[in-house]
Amino acid sequence: MSDETILLGAVAYDAKVVTIWEGIRQHFQNEGAPMDFVLFSNYERQVELLLKGHIDVAWNTPLAHVRVRQQTDDRSLSLGMRDSDQDFRSRLVVRSDSGIAALKDLEGKTLAVGSRDSTQARILPLHFLRQEGVDLEQVRFLKFDTDVGKHGDTGTSEIDVLEALANGRADAGTVGDLIWVNEQSAGHVDTNLIRSLWTTPPFDHCMFDALPGLDVGKIERFKKALFGMRWDVPEHRRLLELEGLKVWMPPRESGYESLREALANPTPE
Amino acid sequence: MRACARRWRIPPLSNIVQNENAALAIDGGDLALGGGLLALIRPALDLLEPGGVLAVNSVNQALRDDLPRWCQLQHHEYRERQRTEQGYDRHLIGRGALSLPSGQRESGVTLPQRDGHISTEDVLKSIPMPEHADPSSGFAPRGARVEPGGPRYPFTLLDRDHVAPPEIAKLYDQAVAAQWNAATDIAWNKIRKLPDVIERALGQVFTFLAENELSALYLPSKFISRIHPAYAETAMFLSTQMADEARHIDVFLKRARAGGGGLGVSSATTSQSLLSLLELEDFTEAAFLLSVLGEGTFLDLLTFIEDHAPDEVTADIVRRARNDEARHVRFGLVHVRHALAHDASLYGRLEAAVRKRAVSLSNVGGAPEPLQDGLTVLAAGSTDSKSIARGHDAFRELLHTMHASRVKRLEHAGFTTEQAQNLSDLHTPNFM
Repeated sequence: MSDETILLGAVAYDAKVVTIWEGIRQHFQNEGAPMDFVLFSNYERQVELLLKGHIDVAWNTPLAHVRVRQQTDDRSLSLGMRDSDQDFRSRLVVRSDSGIAALKDLEGKTLAVGSRDSTQARILPLHFLRQEGVDLEQVRFLKFDTDVGKHGDTGTSEIDVLEALANGRADAGTVGDLIWVNEQSAGHVDTNLIRSLWTTPPFDHCMFDALPGLDVGKIERFKKALFGMRWDVPEHRRLLELEGLKVWMPPRESGYESLREALANPTPE
Repeated sequence: MRACARRWRIPPLSNIVQNENAALAIDGGDLALGGGLLALIRPALDLLEPGGVLAVNSVNQALRDDLPRWCQLQHHEYRERQRTEQGYDRHLIGRGALSLPSGQRESGVTLPQRDGHISTEDVLKSIPMPEHADPSSGFAPRGARVEPGGPRYPFTLLDRDHVAPPEIAKLYDQAVAAQWNAATDIAWNKIRKLPDVIERALGQVFTFLAENELSALYLPSKFISRIHPAYAETAMFLSTQMADEARHIDVFLKRARAGGGGLGVSSATTSQSLLSLLELEDFTEAAFLLSVLGEGTFLDLLTFIEDHAPDEVTADIVRRARNDEARHVRFGLVHVRHALAHDASLYGRLEAAVRKRAVSLSNVGGAPEPLQDGLTVLAAGSTDSKSIARGHDAFRELLHTMHASRVKRLEHAGFTTEQAQNLSDLHTPNFM
């Protein structure tokens, strides 16, 4: 393997991750950007090995991205993100019969929340609820700490939250709006029973991270190949659908402030 | 909420509402995004060109966040939310350009009915076949708009003039109307015990017929999966041809056994000849060799068997089979004639295909011996020497008839008399 090869890290949260990166590797190869990938079982190890320089690029969750930024004094390089990663929001969804009409009504009720390392289903919605004046000490939590280390990638805990509302185990729940909109689009939500009561401010989601010293040629080849993927090209579309996007977007750093604040001031649970 | 929605109801989707903000407006009432609203929004957006604006009127407040996110994910442009004087939300959505289906929207197509029937011929007239077809449209029926990004299919028959003669839909209509039932349409109860020698001759003849019909069942199946669905009528016709062959195999084998004659011998020369047919890889060559030359020759064979049939059931079976085969021959003829008219090089290719097959079968001296014997005994009607002599003459006459008919058919397909004579001489002595 030559030094030209970009070594990319991704977390294997699902078997499809192999299909995705095998396909993207082939596309990169076709575009003259030799790339190989390493799969990690959790984001903590991926971030650690990126910081040690063992991999060139890491496909990171917002939580992993913020850690990389903090560990590199904001000098790390952000290379790109998905269209769906921009202007992400979390939702407070409630059962219609829960009697919750305002955020303060959550106190004394059962709130289903996703994995403790899920930005969209746990960390940020609780952070924003506290900002809105909800006394989280007065809320009963039903926690779905599934797939910890995957940072909510699997969506399992969010589906668990919606199920807990559907079967009455919880009065309310917090989920990301990607799951919320997609589950509605697919007809999986009984909207007579479950409705969205409140939406958090926007934040951004996943990011390709690299260390500041990454070879300029690798950066250019990476971006050219990545942004060369097209929704109307059959070989690309399959991969984009699997990865949950339609168009790769240029990076932006404006969407991670709230997560930094939340990590600096953990919510009581 | 529902009462409010009813009070505010605006004209339904079919009535396009002109207003200053949007080309199209729909009333979402209190429907949630996941409560059925998308079934109104998506078809409405589909009516718009990129940039066209859809107004979604709604009293559902959850849409204020759900619609912008949905639009972002779908690459539509969420423009703004207005508050109307009546107090409901008007969401304005610009139709995005991502994943725009190709082709013109089918409109104004109302198929004519004749005596309450809708013919495939009229469908073809309304939705004509394109001259060339794109393999990435997959199994999309002709006339459907196709979303980009679908995979490329392995179809290889992509040119109308090499796949679908103009008469194809009419032939399909005729084929569908002419289907019959091998189990119930034959008067099987009229079969009477015939002399063993006649039953054995019948068994041999039907063994040969069934063997050849099996090849005629298998060969078209090779090509159906190569035909682009824009020319589906050809695939549909071939499927009727295959159903015909299946039925013929069924009745032939039933008749061979119904009187106790049993099956006869499958000869090595027949097997060799049919393999050279099955191995064809060019659709037009296959249609020519199978349908024009092979099945054409079979028409005379089936007439011969009908003329000398020892009972009415046998005569009925081969008469019905001949009617079906005549349709296959017509398809082969119009297909080849149409292709010849659009491709001057085809004459040479077809002639070369016949020659190549003749060379590979040059060891085959004449009609398979067990078949010769079966046909002779059948025509004789008994085994006394005078009858056999008569049967033998009839068989020799059959060979002349087959040659003369082939020449006529080849001339009909567009060959000169000399070419037709040559090609007919080169045709396999196995008949098919």
